[in-house]
Amino acid sequence: MLQQHQHQHHLQSVVAAAPNPSSSSTTSTTPSSITGEAPPKQVAQAMDRLGQAARLIADIRLGADRLLEALFVAAQPHQSSKPLHLFRQEDESMRQHLQDLRTVGKQLEESGVLNESLRSRSNSWGLHMPLVCPDCAVVAYAWKRQLAGQAGASAVDRTRLALKAFTDQKRRFFPHLNDEEDGESTDNVSKKHRNLPAQADDNQDNLSDCKTLSDLLTNLEKDMPNLKVMTYERLDWLKRASSLPAAANDNTMEAPKHNFHSSHILRAAPQNVVSMDKIAVIELFFPSVFRAVVSLHPAGSTDPDSVAFFSPDEGGSYMHSRGSSVYHVFRQITEHATVALQYFLGIRSKTALHSLLHWICSYQTLFTKVCNKCGRLLAMDRQSALILPPVHRPYRTFSASKVLSTQDQSSNAPEAYHISCFSDDAALALALYCNRLR
Amino acid sequence: MPLKWVFNWQPNAGSTVNSQILNEVSQCVESMNGVKEGRWKATLTFYKPMLRDQALAGEFPREFIGISLPEQPNKYYFILRVNKIVLEADSSIQLIMEKLQSYKSRVALNFEGFQYQLGDFQLRVGKVVPTHSENLRGIVMEVEYLPISSLEKSKLIMDEFVDIWQDAVSKRSLPGHFMHIELNFSDYGLADHYTSQHTAVQYAHVMGQLIATVQAVQAGRN
Repeated sequence: MLQQHQHQHHLQSVVAAAPNPSSSSTTSTTPSSITGEAPPKQVAQAMDRLGQAARLIADIRLGADRLLEALFVAAQPHQSSKPLHLFRQEDESMRQHLQDLRTVGKQLEESGVLNESLRSRSNSWGLHMPLVCPDCAVVAYAWKRQLAGQAGASAVDRTRLALKAFTDQKRRFFPHLNDEEDGESTDNVSKKHRNLPAQADDNQDNLSDCKTLSDLLTNLEKDMPNLKVMTYERLDWLKRASSLPAAANDNTMEAPKHNFHSSHILRAAPQNVVSMDKIAVIELFFPSVFRAVVSLHPAGSTDPDSVAFFSPDEGGSYMHSRGSSVYHVFRQITEHATVALQYFLGIRSKTALHSLLHWICSYQTLFTKVCNKCGRLLAMDRQSALILPPVHRPYRTFSASKVLSTQDQSSNAPEAYHISCFSDDAALALALYCNRLR
Repeated sequence: MPLKWVFNWQPNAGSTVNSQILNEVSQCVESMNGVKEGRWKATLTFYKPMLRDQALAGEFPREFIGISLPEQPNKYYFILRVNKIVLEADSSIQLIMEKLQSYKSRVALNFEGFQYQLGDFQLRVGKVVPTHSENLRGIVMEVEYLPISSLEKSKLIMDEFVDIWQDAVSKRSLPGHFMHIELNFSDYGLADHYTSQHTAVQYAHVMGQLIATVQAVQAGRN
């Protein structure tokens, strides 16, 4: 508000110094607004009114606070009629403020401050009303060039600053996201990553053969006998998800007793029909255990961008890689998987999809593998008060070879932890990880 | 559909079931953070054939059970336990039987109580009472694990849940325990994927147990 007053004084001194055709041309050149005054005076008035409006708004805010306070006091026991009196008082003054604000607003509108109608009028000396930008910055100067320049400059500056801040953050936290202007491939991105501290990824040496998407998926299917992998274009997945039978509608009437593989009826088209460069969704289905949906961005690439887990019996259009299962266990896994995905992408984005898919496969033992810490399958999670199986499978020390070993409880099998069992160990691991980053 | 295990309250030798036990069990569920959701009710009916010639009675199965389940309001289930047959029919079959005067209801029982949600588990605790009577004959419990439908894949999970449950119940020192019979569903032609027919079969077997218990008590008295 202080600034506006200063502007006002400045303008008034400018007006005093400038040659003064205003007195002669007042009536003919000024726009037919209510005031009938010279543009500089209009500007001054407009600035004044804006100041008034700002003060009224502040008063209204204060009034609202006082009203809430009065209500709060009234809610306390043993009160007299004092809060009621306060309330009435505030109510009146609020109404007055609001009325005043409306009046000022109307005046500002009529003089063109809030609706820019004057900018198009050519006979107004080049002076324009103060401009209220959509982001509420008030540009006071009425000189045409200055106004245009200042408003434009301020907008451009603000945008530039915002863009810079955003790009910096993006580069810092999401280094794997490609810059479209660079038109680069995944190779360039991984070159950038050589500056990041290298983690223990010596397990990933054999992954050089899995460069293409189809190689990756074929090898995966070979390694996991229970797994069904299906790929889709993005819209095709939506159709598929919507047509999956939801658990509640599992009608046993039609199917004969020995054949309850209803989900197989809706198998996707065989893989070779979908052209590889349009594939945007990968579905990993372990019958009776879970269904995972991985999204690739851009389509046809080996860059995963989101993952979600669902019940094998769930169906509906909410089933996609950014969707959420209706069951707690799969919701928890999805949360954990999202973090794992970011980890795989951050470490080495070239092999992220390979790691992610194999890591997902480690969940085939979801309902059979006991927790490595407490030795039980079910545990009550302290935070959510839910009984859950071990939904955490560590990803930091993950190696694809672990998943390829048998699903028994051998020491090489991928580990599993309950949420609470994991977080105790994870805190320590995280501290170690942060140290290495430094 | 999500799989379910049905349990039957087995009172200790010399004790009978009473509503205090039912209250304690309900409290136990609530102590495990179970959220009460609503009521549920299933019915079980023993049918006898209406025969003009009573001599033919021997050709008909002795125990012909009909069950209606709350999750399938449009269906009715028939079980012949001895012959290991389960059949799913439309609920209008009851009307048809009545019109044809082919079978008449001999005894009808209600299983009713409250339903609780425990995360991905759903529990139902209910009393067994004859229709039109408040005479408590037994207590049943259903434990349903919602995310999956495979009996095989869920066995370990359910076993562990039962352990947790039995742990919680044993703290209340009740005169009895919940029993679950491992059934061979394939005898009934049912698959690993769970359906309401599985539930109907479990209830029929629970009924068998209840009868056995009652008979044992009566034999004890005599």
